[in-house]
Amino acid sequence: MEVELLRSMTKRPATLRYPFERAQPVEGLRGKPVWDMEKCIGCGLCQRDCPTRAIEMTGRGRQAEFKVYYDRCAFCAQCAESCPVGAITMTQEYELAAFEHGQMMQEYRRTRASSSPPSPSSQSPPQEK
Amino acid sequence: MKALNEGDAEATSTFQIPLGPQHPALAESESFTLTVDGERVVDASLRIGYVHRGIEKALEAGTYIQNLYLIERICGICSHAHTFCYSQNIDEALGIETPPRARFLRTILMELGRIHSHLLWLGLAGHEVGFDTLFMYTWRDREAIMDLQELITGNRVNFAFYTIGGVRRDISGPTIERIKKVLKVIRDRMRYYKWVALNERTFLKRTVGVGILRTEDALRYCAVGPTARGSNVKRDVRKDDPHGAYDEIPFNVITYDGCDVASRTLVRIDEILESANIVEYALDHLPSGPIRVKVPRSVPPNETISRVEAPRGELFHYLKSNGTEKPERYKVRTPTLANLASIRTMLVGGYLADVPIAIASIDPCFCCTDRVTVINEGLGSREVWTLDRLRKYAEDWYRRR
Amino acid sequence: MEFASFQTILQITIFPGIAFVIVLSLFLQWLSRKFYARLQNRYGPLHTGLAGFLQPLADLIKLLSKEDIEARTVYKVPFRLLPIFLLTIPLMATMYVPMAEPFKGIVSFEGDLVFVIFLLTLYAVLVFLAAWSSGNPYSILGGVRTAMQLLGYEIPLAIALLAPAIKAGTLSIGGIVAWEGRNLPFILLQPLGFVVALVGFMAELEIVPFDIPEAKTELVAGWQTEFSGRKLALIRLSRDVELVFVSSLIVALFLAGPAGPSPIPPIFWFLVKVIAIVFIVSNLKALFARFRIDQMIRGSWKLLLPLALLQVAIILLIP
Repeated sequence: MEVELLRSMTKRPATLRYPFERAQPVEGLRGKPVWDMEKCIGCGLCQRDCPTRAIEMTGRGRQAEFKVYYDRCAFCAQCAESCPVGAITMTQEYELAAFEHGQMMQEYRRTRASSSPPSPSSQSPPQEK
Repeated sequence: MKALNEGDAEATSTFQIPLGPQHPALAESESFTLTVDGERVVDASLRIGYVHRGIEKALEAGTYIQNLYLIERICGICSHAHTFCYSQNIDEALGIETPPRARFLRTILMELGRIHSHLLWLGLAGHEVGFDTLFMYTWRDREAIMDLQELITGNRVNFAFYTIGGVRRDISGPTIERIKKVLKVIRDRMRYYKWVALNERTFLKRTVGVGILRTEDALRYCAVGPTARGSNVKRDVRKDDPHGAYDEIPFNVITYDGCDVASRTLVRIDEILESANIVEYALDHLPSGPIRVKVPRSVPPNETISRVEAPRGELFHYLKSNGTEKPERYKVRTPTLANLASIRTMLVGGYLADVPIAIASIDPCFCCTDRVTVINEGLGSREVWTLDRLRKYAEDWYRRR
Repeated sequence: MEFASFQTILQITIFPGIAFVIVLSLFLQWLSRKFYARLQNRYGPLHTGLAGFLQPLADLIKLLSKEDIEARTVYKVPFRLLPIFLLTIPLMATMYVPMAEPFKGIVSFEGDLVFVIFLLTLYAVLVFLAAWSSGNPYSILGGVRTAMQLLGYEIPLAIALLAPAIKAGTLSIGGIVAWEGRNLPFILLQPLGFVVALVGFMAELEIVPFDIPEAKTELVAGWQTEFSGRKLALIRLSRDVELVFVSSLIVALFLAGPAGPSPIPPIFWFLVKVIAIVFIVSNLKALFARFRIDQMIRGSWKLLLPLALLQVAIILLIP
């Protein structure tokens, strides 16, 4: 055992010094889900299947608008799976903390040109290394 | 807690120590009351129910698809076992056959989960006996498995991998190579830990002859999992009731006959090595084909049960469906509940210093366990209580204390 | 009545007295934590100050500023006074150990070795009193275990510490260091005694594998359970100062104290040797699991005591 201890001293420590060192997110990491309103047909299946009631849809069809509560989201990706047109993608963003509940809600709606910009959160996403 | 023996005419030589509900030795809240005489434990009594979250009731309020994710969160460590059991249960209720590739993938993830759970336990066991170095090392090695799970499923815990009718993601060639590489590292580390468990004298002094559960007691108190297998009871749901792909993969059921904490440690270490073999065999023999079948949203009226070998023992789910999208009744009986009865035999007659490691040796997962059916021994009655009644009872009880 | 000279007061309060000892104790705590962490493949304290250097100070300040809760069942007078006494005793004991130039402690007299051993025992007795005054079953059990552990290690430790005195023919620590300067350090002459003394001191300091009285997973915090805020800060500091004292005593008795080749000041040699002892202790801490109290006592009487007696026998038989 002593040999193991001394050998550990020569190896680099196993700790990552977050936030200076970050683990690279793997491909397929279930991070924050985002809605592509161009593709959305307003069927409501995502809202129906969400286990935590994090998705609120108002309106139907092409006029549907979403309020997504990321503090309720369990990142299970059931919405992405249920969506028949693939309008929801799970990004690799996992640093989603905020100081207040209100800051964790995001709205999605169709504008004439493209989907709406995200409402301001308290921290901008850090630069990817 | 009344002050000790202040002018008691009949000062007894025993006194009671509470272990819990909050205690550094216990990862979750449970209350053990130990009656000790000096350092020897004379009696032990247990109260559970502190982590009761009303999950079974919540399951009745969600659809089968939504419940997948609630079931995942019954426990963080054996999350995969619960979802496996659940999806198997609903598959059974729907009467569908999962495709072979899905069954193999389910088994692979189940065994990876077993490796990570046993490594976690090994660290905890080290911590309980004051061997923090073992704790740090095993949890560092566990990171490799967590990263693997993240690669396969998209998350380190709460995999959302099992679904009704199969699994949600497939694994590709590079991932398979990665898994094999990590398994090789794990095997080397486990051989080292086995050497430590068999040779490190201070560790042996704390685990050999401690927490004795004789074979007849293990059978009488219905112990399951490594707790039973450490007492020479050859009971393993993977062999007794094959699920997933276990009937197509050859493996050994590990038993040791020491009946003490050291045996249970060795059972778990060997099981990790065995699991690594199972995963490799499954990867080599992975059948091709679809990974899931399409399932209807409502389940016809049916009553089904499903059992899997969770890392802690036999996990048992019961479903009663009524033709709608939501289950009528869902019951979960976890292995820790079955093992709790054995704790008392292990503690009584031993030393106080052995209590944490003895409790830890059944690998208690109390958050899995606390779905309460109150058995009032004095009245000989058995009833299921609503939350209101439980709350009132708790208030009265604490007021009387 | 004579008052102490100004120089003595300066020595007692600053160098190598109270201020120096407290700073050294925080430094050694940092060193010990970093080394222990590296053995376990992790970093240890990291961000406070350069490489976490200020972490022990930060912990001390944090504890001093926390709320000091007293349960209703404590016996107020001992509970409040004992942390102060627990800090004072090791501080006082370090006054007798040579750390710098004159190769004797700030205060020294013939027989101060015995006095210092007595102070160690007094510390353990006060720990038991602290536990008893807390009125908490975890504390009482911790205190009882401390007392039991004291019964185990005290006699072998005292014998191992007196062995150098027998050879050197003096009971003054400064005298022993002077003898070592003229001859060989006792670690070479009495390796068995060194090992017994080291083990005994680890039991005294309640370091793994002997941290039974404050076994975190068994007794919450053992005898320290009820103390919080300032009292806990004083107790933690007293443990660190005890580590300084114990290391410097071993260095004085077995490694020739501050003696060393001449152009480099003796305080530097002293520090090097003390750091070496701290490394050895941290290594042993990482290597072992915790003993059970009955195993520890059985081991002390069956193993430590005979070894200590054997060491004395060797000294007396071999001139």
